[in-house]
Amino acid sequence: MSAENLAYALVQLVHNFGAASVVGGAVFARWPMPQPREVQRALAWLVLAAWIAQIASGVSFAAVSRHFYGALPDIHAVARAALAVKVAAAVLGLATAAWLAGRGERAGEAGRVLAWRMLAACGVIALAAAAVLRWFS
Amino acid sequence: MCIRNLLAPVVAAGFLCTAAAHAAEGSVRILQPAEGATLDSMAQNRLVYEVDPGPQGDHIHVYVDDREVGILRQRKGNYALETLAPGRHELCVKVVNKAHTPIGLQKCVAVTVD
Repeated sequence: MSAENLAYALVQLVHNFGAASVVGGAVFARWPMPQPREVQRALAWLVLAAWIAQIASGVSFAAVSRHFYGALPDIHAVARAALAVKVAAAVLGLATAAWLAGRGERAGEAGRVLAWRMLAACGVIALAAAAVLRWFS
Repeated sequence: MCIRNLLAPVVAAGFLCTAAAHAAEGSVRILQPAEGATLDSMAQNRLVYEVDPGPQGDHIHVYVDDREVGILRQRKGNYALETLAPGRHELCVKVVNKAHTPIGLQKCVAVTVD
């Protein structure tokens, strides 16, 4: 087993669980039924941690390539557009999750519902962009 | 006699190891167009290649003037080049890993399009 493959696999592991959490946490907060406030608070922190993991592991993919080959991944224009969408979704998801975890309690129900919907949308968009990024690179 | 009998397998093994190590490094060949070739801008030009990605390589990226234009997943084949503007161009084939990072195994040819 090469160190390079092990490093990529570990980063991918974090990235995959992060992806599952950003979508799963946001969807489960409201569906199939709205969760109690305490559960929503815990889920907001989980989703926040997951977005941090997503961003950190995304950067780590580039770092591993840089470490082993002195070069960054070389991606096609379509893939670069997908990456830009993914990064935008991650930044918006991170900001929304941070707001929900930190100030969600003081916000009204309508604000929390909107934040959860936005988080679910960010997660779905990031995952969809990831598929394009993977196969158009 | 005895020494020769002992040395023969060692020398043979040495050659085999060298050959295996060389093969493991991988290789890239651009069979067409040749370096310095002149291409017809009105013709359907094809890049014919043969790649051994080695242990670290996964697939191939094709570049025209340092711009990625195609992804190839076959080790041997050809790629139809889009219409190239008249002038000098550089065509490159680079082996990349699963993360799409060039691993340093590549071949480029310079061509002129008339």
